[in-house]
Amino acid sequence: MKNILTIAKWELTRLRFRFEGRLKFVMLAIVMLAIGSSYTVYHLGIVTGKELYTIGLSSDGHAILDPRFQVIRFDPEQGYTMLYRGDLDAYINGKEIIARDDERSQHVKETLLRYLSKQELLRIAQQYESNIAFPLRVEVITLASPGNAASPVPGGTAVPAPPSPGRTDEDVNRQIDIFETGGLTQLKETLLAKEDIIIPSLTPPPLPMAQVILVFSFIVPVLFVAVFFASSFAEERINGKLVVLLSAPVSNIQIILGKMLPYIVYSLFVITLITLVMSGNILLNLAIFTPVSLLIFSAYMVVALMYRTFKDLTLFSVVVISVIMVYLVVPALLTGVSDFSYISPLTLALETYRGEAITAQQYLLATVPLFLIFCQAVFIGTRLFNEEYLMGFKPLHVKVAEAINLTVSRNHLNLSAFLLTLSLLPVVFVIELASIIFVRNIPMPSSLWMLVIFSAATEELTKSAVLFVLIKNRVIGTKLETLRLSALSALGFFAGEKLLLLLALAVVSRTVFTAAVFGGGLWVLPLVLHAVSTGTVGLITNRLGTKYYPLALIAGTAIHASYNLFFIGMFR
Amino acid sequence: MKSYLTLLKKELWSLTREKTILMAIIVEFFIASLAPVILGGVMTYYDPDSSGWGTARIRVGVVGGSGTPLLDYMEEGQVAVRLFPDLPAAEAAFQASRVNAILFVPGNIPGPVNMKLMLPDSEIEKTVITFLLDEPLKRYEDYLRKANGVEVNYNDFDFNPLSTYEFINNALIPILMLFPALVAGSMAIDAITEEFENKTIDTLVSTPVSAGQVFAAKVSAAIAAAVIQVIICAGLLTWNGIVINHLILVLILAFSYIVSISFGGAIIALLFKDRQRAQFAFSMIIIGAGAASCFLKPSPLELLTKLAAGAPNTSITGLLVYTALSIALGLTFLYFSERSMTANR
Repeated sequence: MKNILTIAKWELTRLRFRFEGRLKFVMLAIVMLAIGSSYTVYHLGIVTGKELYTIGLSSDGHAILDPRFQVIRFDPEQGYTMLYRGDLDAYINGKEIIARDDERSQHVKETLLRYLSKQELLRIAQQYESNIAFPLRVEVITLASPGNAASPVPGGTAVPAPPSPGRTDEDVNRQIDIFETGGLTQLKETLLAKEDIIIPSLTPPPLPMAQVILVFSFIVPVLFVAVFFASSFAEERINGKLVVLLSAPVSNIQIILGKMLPYIVYSLFVITLITLVMSGNILLNLAIFTPVSLLIFSAYMVVALMYRTFKDLTLFSVVVISVIMVYLVVPALLTGVSDFSYISPLTLALETYRGEAITAQQYLLATVPLFLIFCQAVFIGTRLFNEEYLMGFKPLHVKVAEAINLTVSRNHLNLSAFLLTLSLLPVVFVIELASIIFVRNIPMPSSLWMLVIFSAATEELTKSAVLFVLIKNRVIGTKLETLRLSALSALGFFAGEKLLLLLALAVVSRTVFTAAVFGGGLWVLPLVLHAVSTGTVGLITNRLGTKYYPLALIAGTAIHASYNLFFIGMFR
Repeated sequence: MKSYLTLLKKELWSLTREKTILMAIIVEFFIASLAPVILGGVMTYYDPDSSGWGTARIRVGVVGGSGTPLLDYMEEGQVAVRLFPDLPAAEAAFQASRVNAILFVPGNIPGPVNMKLMLPDSEIEKTVITFLLDEPLKRYEDYLRKANGVEVNYNDFDFNPLSTYEFINNALIPILMLFPALVAGSMAIDAITEEFENKTIDTLVSTPVSAGQVFAAKVSAAIAAAVIQVIICAGLLTWNGIVINHLILVLILAFSYIVSISFGGAIIALLFKDRQRAQFAFSMIIIGAGAASCFLKPSPLELLTKLAAGAPNTSITGLLVYTALSIALGLTFLYFSERSMTANR
């Protein structure tokens, strides 16, 4: 522990040394300017969406105060002419909105309608009592689906009692508040009761894009810090200083953790700061965003270890960051609409920001894969810490194969095969969930086919990667060894899959798609399948040589995919 | 000039040899082709109609509500209604899968109407049912409002479902056009600072080529890579059916941003001569300048968005100004590069 702290201190000293002298003030000034102008822009709400649409308004039309619209007063004759000439996106004559037939004009008309109807609702909320203005309340109750284990239907057989009037009024007012500000107010008091009360005209706007981006801003500073970490790491590696550190009486893991520590602490500090600015719950946000930070750091570390020049580092970081961003943002767009959103920690942050409660299961689903990937990355990092690997300059796939080779322990081949595949599960999980979202858009049944084949291929690749490396490096040679390790790899995969499934089922409801990917209620059959498909891949590679690995993969995928498709057919 | 071209060729060749530039192009490819697809996928949650769910009729068991227009609204909204005399009957039907959901409408009591909607535990069914009931319930609410004497001028239940127009035009296209510019700036900094850090700058100076030409070639290579990315990206978007209006002007504007940011980054690199500091300063300045640029009229982002979206009355003067700016930055860089060499003794 002390060693870690020492290394952390050295790292900090190096960092401080970089920014010494006159440059420190220049840097500070630049940073202040950056923060200052960003804050101003955030406050004034400018960024995108200022005066995007040009609207003509007649003299008797109501004023439009939304910054997205550039509003100019025209009398009807001029207005119509300009509209059809293309100089206006839409024209409002009194209460009527007129638009052309093209996509843009229609879109602007829709946007106007939404804005105006929202204004109307706010007006009547002000003018009238909530009972009169919002006379319809709909309480939503979830029933156990038919055929599922009987949980007694709430409400029993008597006529259900209406909720107390005082309580619904409170709900109405709260929903009006949310409606008005678009959900950005912070509501610290009550957690939403299990039964939601819907007021139809106040249902929250779909696609919480703005809010997701807001929550994403927590991560942006962490990305910056991570870049520092990665470049410091890469620099020491390229300069050869890292290798020198290897000869010191510190273990690899102490080096890695020690180097990461100051940056992680700094990220936590930044997250706390932003939480304070946005008046959120500090502990909760730290709990949510720490795994995200760890994920980002582990990604950058792996990149820094794999690449040789700085240009590579920049470009590959861009790739990694794009993937992570998509993984974090896309599910969060489904907040409140689908349980898929709980894959992303941003959803948790969004919901707590809105004052909604999150369950422990939801928290674990979002954060455990990230945390596991972090641990895995650190472990791999420690195994890669040898001179030859660090100083080598080879293509990416060779480096990956070498990494696997180094990670596997020669003395414990069985255990290594099992654990390696087990540990790759979170990555596979993430990829497969992403593919589910992706494939929603393609019409059935091709989407199902594509999904099954893709997930089968991913899984076979994962399970057989270790076999490929071991055969290629002639660590194993006989058919028996191949089969044994295939079985163990399959077992590892199977174990990891079931663990994650348990976790996921608690949160994500069953749909045809999740059944397709995670399917197979029986326990023995899937295990046999995994062993058979992996064994096939292993044996073919063994017999024909590693050059035929792609062929072996296709064979394994075919077996796996056929099984899945057959099984789903059975369910239908 | 000839030596500049030779140097440029060398830089471009080294960029392509390191296959990572391919990766950057693949990322753009990935995002450009995937984003509309993913978004479309997300949209199906908000609008089951577009995924073909809407053709399935949902059956809702209704208790009460006869004599009100609610039932008509529901039928018009593609919801099949089955009436039941009481809740237990409806529940039995639900358990027998004869209805997908239950709507309990209380009798005529004064005050607000408190309905109960009972939904099954399945995510997809919940989403579809809530979506299909949204319009009938809003209509009924409006009916009740009118009965209370409250008139609303605009109602939002006549809308078309949410479209991706806003996201694609106001967010996706600008981001995809600007992204390569940022990468190019970063790469320019890397290319320049590596000469200083590896101390190869002295070797360079001893050659018959001037340092200015060397640096110019490096930055040009970064710009070229970004330009190619933007063109590929625009091509992919168009191929996916996303319209970019005034394409040539948009591309010219994007190129001018690339040039500005690349030379800006290069100037920063010359000033700091140290990779980490230069990159950090670059990121901070991009944020600050980006934020500050929102105050300009038109702001760079706004101009790009409006041109690509085909907004009316988008003036070309902004385009000319930003192009002029990029040239100015280029010249500044050339000046600085010569000066920095003589100062680097």
